Amino acid sequence: MIAVINSTLSAARSTAEHYAPKPYYEIDTAFIAAQHWPLALIELALSRGVEEHKLLRGTGIFCEDIARNNLQLSPQQCFQLIHNVQKHSAQPDLSFLLGHRLLLDNTEAATVILANAHSLQDALDTLIAHPQLLSPFIAPRLSYEQNRLVIYWQDACGADSAQIFLLEMMATALSSLSRWQTGTSLPWQFYFTHSAPAYIEQYQVHLHTQCYSNSKVQFNAPVNAMAIERSHLHLPWKKSNPELATNARTAMTLNAPAMQQGFLAETYNYLHNNIQHAPNLEQTAADFSMSSASFKRKLKKHYSHFQAQYDLVRRDLAIKWLNQGGWTHEQVAQELHFYDAANLRRAFKKWTGKLPQAMAPLD
Amino acid sequence: MLKHHKWKLFFVGMGANCVLLAGLAIADIKFWSEINWLDVLSEGGAAGLALVWLLLILHSRPAGRVTQFLSLGLSCVFIAGFQDCLDEFLRFPEASRWDHWVESGLMPIGLMLLTLGIYHWHKEQLSITEQLRKREQLFREHRGLDFTTNLNGADYLRKQLTQTLAAQDQATTTLALLLIDVDNFSEINRRYGHQQGDHLLQALGELILLNIRRQDLLCRYAGDRFALVLPNTGRLVAETIAREISAAVNNFAYKTHAQGESVFHSVSIGIALSNPEHNSMDNPAMLIERATLALLSSKEKRNHTIACAA
Repeated sequence: MIAVINSTLSAARSTAEHYAPKPYYEIDTAFIAAQHWPLALIELALSRGVEEHKLLRGTGIFCEDIARNNLQLSPQQCFQLIHNVQKHSAQPDLSFLLGHRLLLDNTEAATVILANAHSLQDALDTLIAHPQLLSPFIAPRLSYEQNRLVIYWQDACGADSAQIFLLEMMATALSSLSRWQTGTSLPWQFYFTHSAPAYIEQYQVHLHTQCYSNSKVQFNAPVNAMAIERSHLHLPWKKSNPELATNARTAMTLNAPAMQQGFLAETYNYLHNNIQHAPNLEQTAADFSMSSASFKRKLKKHYSHFQAQYDLVRRDLAIKWLNQGGWTHEQVAQELHFYDAANLRRAFKKWTGKLPQAMAPLD
Repeated sequence: MLKHHKWKLFFVGMGANCVLLAGLAIADIKFWSEINWLDVLSEGGAAGLALVWLLLILHSRPAGRVTQFLSLGLSCVFIAGFQDCLDEFLRFPEASRWDHWVESGLMPIGLMLLTLGIYHWHKEQLSITEQLRKREQLFREHRGLDFTTNLNGADYLRKQLTQTLAAQDQATTTLALLLIDVDNFSEINRRYGHQQGDHLLQALGELILLNIRRQDLLCRYAGDRFALVLPNTGRLVAETIAREISAAVNNFAYKTHAQGESVFHSVSIGIALSNPEHNSMDNPAMLIERATLALLSSKEKRNHTIACAA
């Protein structure tokens, strides 16, 4: 069930600039159309010799159901599917292959609009507008920093061990789409928090990255992100079909899906926007219209807890504020509700493995 | 595979059964105190393992002479072991000799047959290795084998390069690494479907195999990129082979499964040579990087499909 929060009630309780939680979906909300990428993943895995019963074990998915009707899956089912694929397929390239076809071979309205955007900026705006349709598991967050645009990826609803697969898939999807539209590989830079895998060649070939060419991939990075120079954002995309996009837009407005974020992504939004109010568990739970115990339970269901989410927000804000320059550690510590700068440094070291002064801008 | 061998399994089962029934008919069962459990464990374990080997071999091999020898040998070993184990539970009368014959006679016969089988297996393996020559060298690792093209993957390439570069250390010649990338492969995937893309990669792999020398090694690096290792090869020869591969691919009319229409392709090739003076400083990662750089520059030029990095 999608929990719809009565935002007027929450708004009345809070101050003017207080951010009230918006509707969100959870790890067991069934809303992902099975005949789109889940089916593509199933077909791909089957064609690579994974047996059907092993592939679908524990997912509660039956192949006949997908073909028959508008079956909708929950993130949980998709994560289990990815887990099974990783377990039973020796090939590490499925996430990349799926990424290549994710945006281009898909007939879903939102995807058609994205793939037929008139520029990269337009495509990314579409991505941000419909996260629940286009990237339901890892939430994209755009940030314009100096001369480039950074897309941060954040766990939206408890992806857990499926996260690396999803990051590889989305990174390939966006770079593959932009490569097809512009006819050249754009100088994307990729940042992953995981360490370099044994199948590094897949990153090189599918993401077109090389250590010293213009496109780079960095492992063990403090964040999961991809970045591009702003000059590439407004280059016209020549292969787009505006008519297709318009038709898809009409189809979308008829169904009019409300913009939604995953539960973790929405918790992050809430904490991020209310950082000046020093959010705590009780207040957050109250704003999400539930008891502290229920809120804790819900976080646990998404493989997280309050402190982890709060620290994630503070980590990202600390990186952002330290990178933009002109802020002392004391100021950052105060804004993030640390007792003093020493405590901030200690926490920062724990989050990123580096001290704040060693924190070079992402490059 | 096992269903091709059901008669063999039937006779093994029958043999073991006969031994058991004959034993029960003439011998007395021992008391619990008389049974030596360590012997039961070791003799029974040996017989059990022989059976496991037999099943694994039958499961993985088509019928034929080598399989015949191996399975016959292992069957004898199993039945001898089974009788040996049975001894621990049954007290055979002094007068009967056949139980000794089963035990001590079958075992050497079985081992002889097994040896004969392994000898022929060795011959067979040599001829298979010859067939696989351009796909694998120096060592075998089935876990890295690529499902689509049946070529070895990047992991194998790196290990192979490590060993070849080390061996190259004394030599004065260079080793050439070619990275071969299919142009506009994603376009083909998009237009004809991914199944067609996979078939095309498989076909291109075979095509490249036909155009290389006996000592060369082809791997699938990742995606639409192949890696070709040319040992003891200088720049000129490497460039010639690259041109030949490129020409072969250009003239290869791949037929799609649905419409049967011809689809033509081109490849871009990047070449990197090992450094004969400083081989010890060359590692696989650096060589691959140089080849990739050459590949990217050849892709940028577009009209020149081959680029070489020294």
